[in-house]
Order: sequence, then structure tokens, then C-alpha cells
Amino acid sequence: MKTTRLKIIAAVGWICILSLTCGALPARAGGKVQNGEDVFAQECAECHSVREGKNKKGPSLFAVLNRKAASIKDFSYSDSLAQSGLVWSEAALDAYIANPRKSVPGGKMKYDGLSDASGRADLIAYLASLK
Amino acid sequence: MTSRLKPLFSLPRATFRAGAFLVATLTAFGAGMQSAYALPSFARQTGQDCAACHVGAYGPQLTPYGVRFKIGGYTDTDGKPDKLAVSAMMVAAVTHTGKEQADPPTAHTHRNNNVTIDEASLFLAGRLADNVGAFVQATYDGVEQSSALDHADVRVVHSMEVAGKDTVFGISANNNPGVQDPFNTMPVWGFPYTGPAVGFGGGDATTLINGGLEHRVMGASAYAFWDNSLYAELGTYRSLSPSVQSRTGQGRADDMGRLGGGTSYWRLAWMQDWKKQAFTAGLFGLSASIQPDRLSSGPTNKYRDVGVDASYQFLGTRKHIGTIYTSYIRERQTRGDLFANGDADKLKGNLNEFRINASYYYDQTWGVSMGRFATRGNRDATLYGDGYANGSPDTSGTVLQADWTPLGKEDSWGAPWANLRLGLQYTMFDKFNGARRNYDGSGRDAKDNNTLFLFAWTSF
Repeated sequence: MKTTRLKIIAAVGWICILSLTCGALPARAGGKVQNGEDVFAQECAECHSVREGKNKKGPSLFAVLNRKAASIKDFSYSDSLAQSGLVWSEAALDAYIANPRKSVPGGKMKYDGLSDASGRADLIAYLASLK
Repeated sequence: MTSRLKPLFSLPRATFRAGAFLVATLTAFGAGMQSAYALPSFARQTGQDCAACHVGAYGPQLTPYGVRFKIGGYTDTDGKPDKLAVSAMMVAAVTHTGKEQADPPTAHTHRNNNVTIDEASLFLAGRLADNVGAFVQATYDGVEQSSALDHADVRVVHSMEVAGKDTVFGISANNNPGVQDPFNTMPVWGFPYTGPAVGFGGGDATTLINGGLEHRVMGASAYAFWDNSLYAELGTYRSLSPSVQSRTGQGRADDMGRLGGGTSYWRLAWMQDWKKQAFTAGLFGLSASIQPDRLSSGPTNKYRDVGVDASYQFLGTRKHIGTIYTSYIRERQTRGDLFANGDADKLKGNLNEFRINASYYYDQTWGVSMGRFATRGNRDATLYGDGYANGSPDTSGTVLQADWTPLGKEDSWGAPWANLRLGLQYTMFDKFNGARRNYDGSGRDAKDNNTLFLFAWTSF
């Protein structure tokens, strides 16, 4: 009886922990949307908008996840990016944000990269939420 | 803003040499009067919001992004063709001083409570070619009711890698030492970014680098910006002839004289941009000799200005932005001409300027700022005679400002075609031209020059 009660308590405990964890789960694995919005404001918003159709110095990042690179028609991309054949998967975005020049040599984005992996995950989670 | 000698005060000595000295060392309407610029032509060219380059979404207070844009010679672009590098700007103001002035500041104004169009400007501002950019301003001065060439800065730039790091090399041809500087700590672009044209922004005595050569010289400097961090610049200037000054609207009457051939301007700075915050620290200097009569062999007045400056910006998510800027300038004067002609008691003297200011902006829209300024110098009863107390050039005070910038953001009305800032600025003096009380010998106190400045500042 005592063992059963302990098992029930343990199970309820795990459920609680899982529930709490699930409640805090990011929209994308490893990333938190709210944090990502802050990262976007700090790192990206000077040059990019998240509004659909709003291009600044950089193209709109609305619905960028899984978008083909250099696919916004009225934006002037570098030849390197246009010919890269990239599709902005999570992995491709992560590599590009970490080191744009390495990911797309000859690209024209003037950004040194975000070395913080969790910051990138949060940012990608935020970008993934924009659709 | 075009240069304008403070009309309230007569020159310390009614002589040409002293007048020339003043042009070289006195700021137009005190240290506080600045022109300020937030140019929608830059926004149209780059596709950016005003807020990308400017703290509080209005110029000229630059973010690190704006610093890079200026160093890049105003050439950065979103790649779209047919951008017109033309902007316009206007500043309208209501100005009230603590006590009415002895005489109207100009022929077209009152002794107090003036409602004025301080300036209306046209700009050629932006990319002219792939590697050529310009910031050239022509201003109608509504107080003087005259027009003149204002700040001019034309650049040629080239980018390449040095030691594996991005490096910008540039040449600036300009008409005002410091107008090319991107860090908002030197006088030309320092706080307050606009100031009263018919009130008081500072005392009469200022250093040479604080507007002494403004628009009456032409010079060139070469600079390099390595790895978005290290900035170095070296340049020289020549005085414009009186006829050229006349043609550019400056007039001949306030010609400062001829600059010696060894005039040098230099700048070293470090900028660290961590995106969420940024800081700069640097040194700068201006050395020049001036022959007021434009004689080839006459005595000269020599000025050696050396400054140290620093700034910090907390940028965060741009919802809350805090900044602090400071500078200290030490000027050594060797007044060969003034001394030889009896316009100064002492051959040598120092004049030092200290400034510090802080600002907070909420949502790139609502801003409050506060600054302290202090000028200190050696006493000289003749040089600092009429209009000064105790033969002293000392002036100190505080500037408070609150402003509202409803436009200039991504979703703003009129973007990227229009911007607007409404502000209320109050300048309080602890000491003015050497004394707290009766500095002019006619019973005027420093606090009588306290100036309330309500301004509407718009650009297109």
C-alpha cells in the first residue's frame, strides 16, 4: 500500500514537472519565442522588419522559415545569396545567423554573427512563429 | 545653423583684431546652439527607419549603426535605384529669457519672447556614387533673414579587409573641423542638438574647435575605421578668402583672418558595439595659427586644442535607451597678435571646456535629457573686458530638455518621408562671462540669461 502510494506521488510529481516543463516549452525545440523577440530587437530590427512585405535594408523576415533564400521579388539580394540554393530551414538559419560570411561567402549582410547558441535558438523560435 | 555672433553683447574690444579673435574663439550664441539633423533622404536611401541611426528616432544623436553609416560616407543603400539625395528641415521656436535683453538680438526680433523660424534648410544628403556621399546644407536663417552655406561634408570612401577585418578608408572634404566626427561628443554635434537662436546657450568665450572656424574654412581629412572599432583621422584646413566667404553667405565682416599653413585636425577613437550597449572613448585635437590682418609676416594668435571624450549607450531592445556623453577640451592660446596690439594683457592663456550629458528615451519617442557645461579660463582684464566680469571667461550651467518624437519609426505615419520632434529646453546659468551677478557691469545676472526654448523641428 505504502509502495503504491509512493508510486502515485512519484507519478503525480513527474506529471507536474512535465506539465511545468511543457508549459515553458518554446515554440521551437530549444528556443523561447519571447526571448527571441528580444534578440530580434537587439540584433536584427535595425535592418529587418517582421511585417509582411516590409523590406528595409534587409528583406522582410515574415514567414522566413522554410522560405527559399533570395525569394522576395522586390528586394535586391547579393548574387551569392541568390545563387546559394539555400532554403531557410532551422539549421540553415542557425548557420547563417552564427556566421553569415562563412555560410554565404560574398553575401552583403553586414553582420558579424551571433555566437550565443541559445540566443540563436530563441531567435529562430521567434522567426518560426511569424506566419 | 549658420554662424552668428551673439548680438546681445558687443565685442570685448571694438577692434578688428579682437573681433577676429572672437570669431575664432567665441561661439555663435554660446556653446549650446547647434544645428541638428535627421534626414529622411538617408532613410529613403537605406530603407531604414530614422530610429536605426538615431537615438530617439531623430538626429543627430547617432546609434552605432548611424556611426557606421556616417563613416561609410553616407553611401550605404538598400540597392534600389532612383533615390533622390535631397532633404529639407525647419526649426520653429518660441524663446523666453529670464530677463529681457538690453537690445533685440537682431533687427528682426524683440528683446524677449520671440517667435521665430530659426532655420530652414535644404540638404544634398546621401549617396552620389558608389563610393561618394555628401552632407551639404544650405540654410535660411529666419532670425537674421539671410541665407548661407551651412555644414558641408563630402566624402569618398573605400572598403577593404586589413588583417582579416573590414576596414573603411575615407577622405572628407568639409568646412568645419569636427563636422565629420561621428561620435556626438565634440562640440559640433554635441548636446544640446538644437538650441536657442535668440536666447543663450553658453557664454561668449569658447575654444577654437567649438565653432571658431565654422564655415569660414575648407579642409580635408583622411580617416580609417578598422573592424568597426578603431577610428583614426588626420586633416588640415585653409581659410576661405573674404570674397569666397561673401559668396557663401558668411559675409566679410566677421572674417577671422588667415589660417597658417600648419593647421592640423586629428582624431583617435575606439568604439565597442555589443548591440545591447556600446561605448566609445577617444582623443581629438585642433592646432591653428590665425593672422587677423591676413598679413604674410604679421604676428599670429595660436591655438592648440586637445580633447578627451567618452560615451556609453544602453540600447537593449530599443524600448528603453539610456546614453551618457562627456568631453573635456583644453586649449592653449598664444596670443601673439592680440598681445602685440594691446588687446590682451597676457601673451599666453588657457581656456578649458567640460561637458557631460545624459538622456533617456522610451519607445524611441519620449525623451528627457540633462547636461552640464563649464568653461574655465585664465583671467585677462583686457581680453575679457567689456561684457565680462573680473576679466574672466568662466561660464557654467545646466541644460534640461524633454522632447517628443512621434514619427521616425517603422510604422510611423509618413515614414520615410517625414519626421518631427517637439521639445522644451531650459538652460540655467550658474555663472556667465565671469560672474554670477552683474557680469556685464550693467546689473545683468547670469540667471537673467536663463533661456526657455520651445521648439518644433521637422524634416522631410
